[in-house]
Amino acid sequence: MPITILPPKAFRDQPPRHSLNHDSDDVMSDATFDSEDSDSQPGGVSLDGGATIHPRKRHRSGAGAAASSTFTKRPKTNAAINSIPRSAIVTPGERITTDPQWMRGHGTYLSSASLGEQAITSSLAGIVTRTNKLLSVRPLRARYTPEVGDLVVGRIVEVQAKRWRVDVGSTQLAALPLSAINLPGGILRKRTETDELQIRTFFAEGDLVVAEVQQLFQDGGAVLHTRSLKYGKLRNGVFMAVSGTGGGGGVVRSRRQVWTLESANNGGPIDVILGVNGYVWISKHVEPVVPEEAKGQTGITNLEEVVSATMYSSQNDRIEPETMREIARIRGVVTALVENGLRVDEDMVTKGYNEAVELALVSADGPEDVYLGGERGEQLAAALTAV
Amino acid sequence: MADRRRINGPVGTTNPPIYDDAPEKQSEGVKVTRSRPANVIRKMYLKTGVTPSASGSAYLEIESSGNGGSGLKLSCSVHGPRALPRSTPFSPHIILSTHVKFAPFATKQRRGYIRDPIERDLGTHLETALRGSIIADRWPKSGVDIIISIVEGEQDRETSKAQGIEAWDTMNALSGCITVASVALADAGIDCVDTVAGGVAALVQDAGNDAAPSIVVDPIPSEHEKVLAACCIAYLPTRQEVTNLWFKGDLPASDMDVYTQLIEKGIQASKSANRVLVDCLNETVG
Amino acid sequence: MASSQHVLLSPAELAYLHASLNLTPPIRPDGRSPTQFRPLVAETGILPGTNGSARICFADGTEAIVGVKAEVERTRTRHDFPSLDEGTEDDDDLDDNQNDVIKGDNDWVEMTVEIPGYRDDDAGTVFLSVMLSEALLADGEFTKRLWINQRFHWKLYLDILLISPPLSYPLPLLSLTTHLALLAARLPRLKSEGDEDPLFDDDWAAAPYLYPRPSEKGSKATAPAPAARPPVTLLVMAVGNNIIFDPSKEELAVADVALAVSVGESSSTTTSTTSSKPTAMDIDTEETKGHNLRLLSVRTIDPPSRLTPPGIPNASNSAYGANAGVKDTEKKKQQQEQARTAESEAVEGVWKAPRGGAKTLVMATMVQKVLEKGGVADEVLDALDGVDLN
Repeated sequence: MPITILPPKAFRDQPPRHSLNHDSDDVMSDATFDSEDSDSQPGGVSLDGGATIHPRKRHRSGAGAAASSTFTKRPKTNAAINSIPRSAIVTPGERITTDPQWMRGHGTYLSSASLGEQAITSSLAGIVTRTNKLLSVRPLRARYTPEVGDLVVGRIVEVQAKRWRVDVGSTQLAALPLSAINLPGGILRKRTETDELQIRTFFAEGDLVVAEVQQLFQDGGAVLHTRSLKYGKLRNGVFMAVSGTGGGGGVVRSRRQVWTLESANNGGPIDVILGVNGYVWISKHVEPVVPEEAKGQTGITNLEEVVSATMYSSQNDRIEPETMREIARIRGVVTALVENGLRVDEDMVTKGYNEAVELALVSADGPEDVYLGGERGEQLAAALTAV
Repeated sequence: MADRRRINGPVGTTNPPIYDDAPEKQSEGVKVTRSRPANVIRKMYLKTGVTPSASGSAYLEIESSGNGGSGLKLSCSVHGPRALPRSTPFSPHIILSTHVKFAPFATKQRRGYIRDPIERDLGTHLETALRGSIIADRWPKSGVDIIISIVEGEQDRETSKAQGIEAWDTMNALSGCITVASVALADAGIDCVDTVAGGVAALVQDAGNDAAPSIVVDPIPSEHEKVLAACCIAYLPTRQEVTNLWFKGDLPASDMDVYTQLIEKGIQASKSANRVLVDCLNETVG
Repeated sequence: MASSQHVLLSPAELAYLHASLNLTPPIRPDGRSPTQFRPLVAETGILPGTNGSARICFADGTEAIVGVKAEVERTRTRHDFPSLDEGTEDDDDLDDNQNDVIKGDNDWVEMTVEIPGYRDDDAGTVFLSVMLSEALLADGEFTKRLWINQRFHWKLYLDILLISPPLSYPLPLLSLTTHLALLAARLPRLKSEGDEDPLFDDDWAAAPYLYPRPSEKGSKATAPAPAARPPVTLLVMAVGNNIIFDPSKEELAVADVALAVSVGESSSTTTSTTSSKPTAMDIDTEETKGHNLRLLSVRTIDPPSRLTPPGIPNASNSAYGANAGVKDTEKKKQQQEQARTAESEAVEGVWKAPRGGAKTLVMATMVQKVLEKGGVADEVLDALDGVDLN
């Protein structure tokens, strides 16, 4: 069957994703909210029917029914107000609190409420989160915002005289200065003019790098570095971009962003790099090769020099078809996770991969079938969420 | 001593030359039919270096269809390779930009100065055809502009039959564009893997009602009752590869043989044009 | 948008993709089989204000909408048209001539393609719309459907909209959507007769389809007479000897050659020439079931692969660790030689942008794969049959 054409799905209520608002539970339990919020919504009840389109309502679909039901409950002012932090979904312009004990965080702004009071107001559609006394709104979807120490996968888009500009899926291009890479031929070699002239031999436009965010500019731009043996140019695999941290599905910050997966069907070990920015690299795991001449010599500097030999290579190693097949399978798993709104981390990918291998065993085409699109993706996601 | 100041007449008597009227007026009902064999292309005139200010240039003229119409006259100039503007992102290859324009008076229907979709489409086809032939990585970070003006398009004087034929004429125009641009590129000294030339073949139905459709190269649509399908091919003869293929028409899917033959004839036409092209280049160099 | 728009992929990625697509059978990055299309969601009749409309979207969110609008327009009289006075002299004569006179003009169809983020006079956008209209007009039959009488005709506007910037070359998506919209398109029923000013039936339910349906689905005995269908344009690419359908952007970036093949289906079987008859007789049962496919157009699409950055073999890479510190001139020389061989022949695992064109055999196979009985075009048309038209 070369083509599957599906009828459009009937619009259905999607249950709220519980994983998203678990942070807000403690906000809700905070007693101060109850008293203060009655001020923050002055005269909410006495307003006309327009108030029925109240952002608090949890149902984003079926507007008519949901809105009217909210409306009937509204006369119980306190109960309705209590529900603000419970639902914890706010929209731009919605007042969160006027209590001065809270500090304004990301996704909010201060607006003057009545009697010279300052109210913390949401500037985004998202979930209220509380960190100690800091109130911030996490958007439902957002582009990646770099943080120091993030492991990211990026693509070189521009080569300048002394640095590269790297696309990391953020609002701005990140910078990778020439001084922040390990130069070949000695880990602590001095940067020379020759290096500047042949800057393109290290990384050129289009190259993919795995790097770490070293520092941030005031404007949110990131500066990267690859001064470690685990960073550098990416080879032997496939790239895919999913949405990064910021809510919904996509890559989430977790304990390990990089790990090696022992694949089934003679695929051998496969490296998975989940960039915090949502860029994913799946490749064959290659043990660093130590050239003959270096074997006799010892010393830590020398070893590091040898290991970094392949850091700027753009030549792939030999990859067995079995490995390629399993790489395609893992890629399919990640796509299925994203398309079904599930988070992408080591745990889910590993579980999803094992599930996919099981699925392939029962499929008509046998274990060689790695297709996970369409219905199979949904099947996979269903199997994962059921556990 | 003979009188050298004036031109004397011949000694004997002669008959004054009488020039025949250009091909006899076609009386109604008599159609011009193809006089060439089915696998011979029309004669063409090709010359390089016609625009001194350009890095490379060429001019192509294809003889007219002996029907009082005009042939195809193309002029191509190549500018570059030259540096790209600063704002353009780095390119490891030469950036090709093609520009095909009919002169406003080139066709029966006057064309404006702004390129219409057909001209843009021709430009895209041309780009595809040329991109396969040049060695693009020899000229990183540079660009080359190929500008073709179709000074005179192929057309028939007889208005009545013109309808629906223009579409097929674009194929001939494209084939000419490819050939002339290929020569101009070589003239500009841009590395090519091979010389590409264009060729057209068509499946035509001749005037006789029961005649079976036949395949001809370099068709002139007005010479045939109906053109069923046509293809334009850009071919690299020494590598035996096709860089651009454009087929158009209506063929039953069960007749793959006809399609294959059509392509083969197109390649043959391209090879013939290529011989002219190589001769022309030899002449330029020699 | 140009198919050759700058695709930024690293040489290592390209080499990997090319290697995996060059295997037998090829392994596509998303695990599809070579002839498999991305799953899509399709519906028709979404815009009540149009004569016909359709929408198709992919799982990645790429979505196309096509609306067909028809307007009555006065036909420009041409000098080669038989003058009206002569024609109306005799009623019988008029009836006889009626069928002969029906003729269309390519100007009666106007197609526009709108892709967000691209200018509408962008070469690629123009290329797409010319390609789609070329397939539609190729057989010269389509415009005849727009004929009302000798003085009037329908002017058909086909507006193709892509909702978001495309994530891959949008040709198949646009073509399939256009196909569905045309299938769903209806023109009001004509009430007037002859050459008088046209008058139409208000009842939309009575409006006939632009492409008439096969009589009824229930009566199996008579139904198989295949009805004419609008064309579909399929994108096919080849890597080595593997032929791959509906390529994604990444796959197209390593294509050796890419073709857009337009296929139509006609109701008449008489046009097939004698050579095909014997085979048709052999598989009689197939013949009645299969589609009467016609090849309408083939175009080479400039694959973006030619613009990709080449990889550097380790042997000639000055930044490759083992070479970096080397001072020995002897070794340098050796490297240069290796580098020279790398220029001429392919090194395994190193990407090199393809040069030159494609072998004719590969191109012929690509077209064959589309057209053969039970081939991809057959199955795509079958699948499109399943879409509910309303």
